[in-house]
Amino acid sequence: MTWPVRLRLALLVLVTVVLQTTLFPDLRVFGVAPELGLVATIAVAYQVGPERGAVYGFANGLALDLFLQTPLGLSALSFAVIGYGVGIAQTGLSRAPRWVAPLFGGAGGFAGGLVFVTVAALVGEDQVIAFRSIWVLVLAAAYDALLAIPVFPIARWATRGVETGVMRSGSVA
Amino acid sequence: MAVYRRGNRRVILVLLLVTSVTLITLDVRGAGPIGGARGLAHDVVAPVASVADRVFSPVGDWIGGVTHAGSLKDENARLRKQLEELRGNAAQNRAFESENQELSKLLDLPYTEDRDAVAARVVSGSPGNFEWTVQIDRGTSHGVSENMAVVTGAGLVGRVVEASGSRATVLLIRDPDSGVSVVTQSARTTGIAQGRTGETTLRLDLVNPAEQVDEGELVFTSGQDGSRFPSNIPVARVVEVTKQRGELQQDVVLRPLVDLDSLEFVKVLRPPEDRG
Repeated sequence: MTWPVRLRLALLVLVTVVLQTTLFPDLRVFGVAPELGLVATIAVAYQVGPERGAVYGFANGLALDLFLQTPLGLSALSFAVIGYGVGIAQTGLSRAPRWVAPLFGGAGGFAGGLVFVTVAALVGEDQVIAFRSIWVLVLAAAYDALLAIPVFPIARWATRGVETGVMRSGSVA
Repeated sequence: MAVYRRGNRRVILVLLLVTSVTLITLDVRGAGPIGGARGLAHDVVAPVASVADRVFSPVGDWIGGVTHAGSLKDENARLRKQLEELRGNAAQNRAFESENQELSKLLDLPYTEDRDAVAARVVSGSPGNFEWTVQIDRGTSHGVSENMAVVTGAGLVGRVVEASGSRATVLLIRDPDSGVSVVTQSARTTGIAQGRTGETTLRLDLVNPAEQVDEGELVFTSGQDGSRFPSNIPVARVVEVTKQRGELQQDVVLRPLVDLDSLEFVKVLRPPEDRG
């Protein structure tokens, strides 16, 4: 991975953290905000594959963790797992249909939220163990699916020039 | 077709997971310089965040207005009705005000105008979906530190859980991690006002079924030993009381007096020992 790509990805992390902590708390629908960092992780992992996707997810999650009251490393762990999973899943696609961004955004967003809630519950964050958490996960996933439509092209720009070894026809969003 | 090195893939993932679990463990146990790292991150991002706040706040306000249009209409009607009632009460309250000031001086009630406090603006809400916090634009350089009570004119907002040089994070009283030792207005019944997951109301825990709690009465911070909050700060109003036979405590639901969804300015109360 070249330095320009690393710089663009670092910029993407910074922008996602600033937006998530300033704009997105005001964009809640029924009290639920989208997870921009998670969507960015999904989009980047889709472009660069499992290893780099996991590393990017870890970095983005860790940066976001610094602004949350949940234990440091919780978002890093869930984003890394989802980055890895999306990276694996994208290798199975021979071509990229147009709906791939909302599909990955929604499914990845739900899975990422589920990992977050599960690990949080395991480490004693009792507030996540509630029926409302399912509602939050579903609504956030729907929000993430919409958000993925503009985020996927940005991730493609940020990872331009990265060799993934996966040849795919078609385009994303 | 690409050939992947599955072993290396897994090694990277395992390393990331081990690092994450280590960080989580350290943070949960309160070990290591994690609090400092959070403070540093807040201070580094604060200038960028301030610019972003100014740029995005009109966008957020507009979107908030659109998504709450239906409820705003109902709320408008309700508030008009309340306004009429409050105008009547205001005249009566003015008479009580001077009497109250005199009594406050006598009793040295902490929740009064003369308490040492730091005024702050709420700059953003929580970035996550599983916590109820707000960020304020005052930090340790302004005398704000952890565990200080945060109030508005209407009552208790929460407490500071993290403070960097220029910003602080306030845990709202409706967060499930928040518990406030309170006392009811009339019968002086004590209990813990506890946040509830996904709810805008609080639950009053540890209230003996034999104790008297009435719907509509106010609850105040008790200021009992070990409490993080000074006494006599208005917290919430009792909206529901359910007593069931055989239960060890009453089911009491409280509604916070402060509108925690539209906080703009708050005051951070400094404990008496911090006064210069």
